[in-house]
Amino acid sequence: MTTLTMTRLDPQSRAARRGMSDISIRNLFIIPTILFLIIFNIFPLLYSLYYSFTDFRASTNAPANWVGLANYRELLNDPFIWTNFAITAKYVIVSVAGQVIVGFGVAMLLNRDIPFKGLITTLLLLPMMLSMAVVGLFWKLLYDPSFGIINYALGLGRFEWLSDPDMALYAVAITDIWMWSPFVMLLSLAGLSAVPKHLYEAAAIDRAGPLYTFFRITLPLVAPILMIAIIFRTMEAFKTFDIAYIMTSQPTTEMIAIRLYKMAFQEWQTGMSCAFAYIVLIMVVAITNIYVKYLNKVKER
Amino acid sequence: MTTEIQLRNLQKWFGSNQVIKDFDLTIAAHEFIVMLGQSGCGKTTTLRAIAGLESIDEGDILIEGEPVQHLKCSDRDIAMVFQSFSLYPHMTVYENIAFPLRATRMAKTELDAAVREIARVLQISDLLDKKPSALSGGDMQRVAIGRALVRQPKAMLMDEPIGALDAKLREQMRAEIKRLHIKQGSTTVYVTHDQVEAMSLADRIVIMHDGKLQQVGPPEEVYLHPANLFVAQFVGSPVMNIADIDIGSAGGGAEIRLAGSDKGFAFGEGALSGISRDAPVALGIRPEAVLLSQSNAKGHLPAVTTNIEPLGSHDIVDVKIGDQTLRARTESGFVGGEGQEVWVNLDPEQAHFFDRESGLSLRKAG
Repeated sequence: MTTLTMTRLDPQSRAARRGMSDISIRNLFIIPTILFLIIFNIFPLLYSLYYSFTDFRASTNAPANWVGLANYRELLNDPFIWTNFAITAKYVIVSVAGQVIVGFGVAMLLNRDIPFKGLITTLLLLPMMLSMAVVGLFWKLLYDPSFGIINYALGLGRFEWLSDPDMALYAVAITDIWMWSPFVMLLSLAGLSAVPKHLYEAAAIDRAGPLYTFFRITLPLVAPILMIAIIFRTMEAFKTFDIAYIMTSQPTTEMIAIRLYKMAFQEWQTGMSCAFAYIVLIMVVAITNIYVKYLNKVKER
Repeated sequence: MTTEIQLRNLQKWFGSNQVIKDFDLTIAAHEFIVMLGQSGCGKTTTLRAIAGLESIDEGDILIEGEPVQHLKCSDRDIAMVFQSFSLYPHMTVYENIAFPLRATRMAKTELDAAVREIARVLQISDLLDKKPSALSGGDMQRVAIGRALVRQPKAMLMDEPIGALDAKLREQMRAEIKRLHIKQGSTTVYVTHDQVEAMSLADRIVIMHDGKLQQVGPPEEVYLHPANLFVAQFVGSPVMNIADIDIGSAGGGAEIRLAGSDKGFAFGEGALSGISRDAPVALGIRPEAVLLSQSNAKGHLPAVTTNIEPLGSHDIVDVKIGDQTLRARTESGFVGGEGQEVWVNLDPEQAHFFDRESGLSLRKAG
C-alpha cells in the first residue's frame, strides 16, 4: 500500500544509479529514528515500569525481588510525599499564574505600533534562551543577602530570600517567572495580533469600555493560544528540578522532582523511585488532559 | 432617533493625500442618505469620521447641534453596520445582539425583551442560539443590523452592508433595509458604490468623487439633472452617452453635429438657450433618449449598428454616427443584428450639455 502512494524514485537520480530503491531510501530515513526512540525512550519506560514493582537498588548487586504494588502503596501512604506534592502544586500555581499575568501584560503592551518593536521583542525573549543552571546561579547571586543587587535596589537590608523557609519557594518562582514570561508573551502576542481589528471597532461603536472589551472580546479570542502556553508551562513547572535544586535546599522547596532525584540517586531506592516517577507521569498526563479538554471546548466556534 | 447630523467643511489628509475636501452636508432627522462613489473616493472615510473611528483634520461634525469631532465613538451614540459584518465569532447571535446593551449594563429583563423584539422584526428569532459561523451571509447581515438597531441609536451608519452578498440576496436585503428604515425612521447614512442600491434606498443621494462632494439630491434629480460630467456618467446604467459636439444653426433652430460627422440633429433654439457656441461643449444623452427608427423620418440621421446586447426586457444597441458611438435603448428584437442601417434621432428634452473644460452642466434638461 505504502509503495503505491509513494512518489516513484526518478530512475535518472543519483540514488537510483547507486542501486537504491524507494523502499531502501524510506528505511534509511525511518529506521534510525525508530531505533533511537526504542532504545532511549520506549525501553527505559518499560524497564522502569518493571522496576517499579520490585525492590531493586542500583547500588547493590542484590537481585531485584518482585514486590507487587508495595512501592505504590507505600508512596501514596507517605505523608512526606504528599507534602512534596503540595509544595509542587503551590509552585506551579504561583509560577504559571505569574508568567501568564506578566507575559500577557507585556504582550498587550507590545501589541501596538511602537518604534523598535522587533528589537524590544527579541531582547525580551533573551531570558528564555539561557540555560536553567546559569539562570539559577545568577539569581542566587542577585538574591544574596549581603551583596545581592535585589536587596540593594529594594532597600531590604539583609533579607534572606533563599534561606527563609517561607520565602524560598516564592523566590524560586519569581526566577521562573522572569525566565519564562517571555514564552507566554510570545504566544500571547501571536494570539493578540490574530484578533481582527474590525472587532475592536465594532466594540467601540457598541459603546463597550476598555475593560469590557478586554474581557468579552480580547480574552476569549486569545484564550485557545493562551491555553497552549499554560499547558506547556504547567508541564514544565510540574517537573521543575534544576532551578530549585541549584538555588536553595530548603525542605520547603523540595518539589517532587527533587524528592525523586534524592530517592533515586542519593538513597538508591531504584524500584521505589521508579514507582514514584510513574505516579508523577500519570498526574502530569491527567492534568494535561484536563487542559486539552478545556482547550477543545474553547476552540469550538 | 430624530437626530440631525451636520458636517461642516470637513478636511482629512492621509499623509499628503487629501481624502476629504471641503465637505459640507446637513442630514435631516429621519433621512436616509446614501453616499455614492467609486472605491477610494472618500465616502467610507467620511462615514468613519462621523462614527468616530477616523479623526478629521479640520471642520466640525455636529450631532443634534453638538460638536462631536473630539468625542470617542462610544460617546457619540451612533450605531454602525460594517461591510465585513464584524460579528463577534465566539458569541451566539443572542449574545451578539445583546452586546451593546450589556456593554452599557442594561437590566436583564429589559435586555431580553429588546433582543427578542429586534430578532422578531428581523425574522431571526430561531437563530438566536447559533454562532455566526453557522449562519448564511444574509442572516449574518441581519444580525449585524440587529446589533446596530437594538440600542436605538441616534443614527445608523452603514458601510456597504450588503456588498458582500450575492446578487439575489442583495436585492432581498435592500428591500428589507428599506422596510426597516420606514418602520424605525432612524437617521441613516449608507455608503455604497452600487448606484442601483443608492437609487432604490435613498431619500437623498450624495455623490462623491476624489474626496469632493459632487452633487446632493433626491435620486430622480440626480438622474435627471446631473450637475456635472462625473455624476452624469456615474449614475444610470447603461452609462450616459457623452459626445463632443459642434453647434451650428440651420433654419430657425440649432443643429447639433457630433464630432466627425457632417450632418447634425436639429434642436429647437429653446433647448440651447444660454449655451455658448464658442467654448467646447459635450453632449450627454441617456440611451433611452437615443431614438432608433427603421425608416427615414424627418430629422433622423443614418447610422450603422455595431453591437447589440439583448437584456430580455430591452436591448442596448450601439450605433455609429461619424466617429462617435452612441448607445441606444430599444425594445427587444428591434434591430436584427450588427452592421444594419438604422435611423437615429435624439430627444432634445432629455439632452444635457456640459462644459468640456469644467465638466459642469450648462443647462438643466426638462
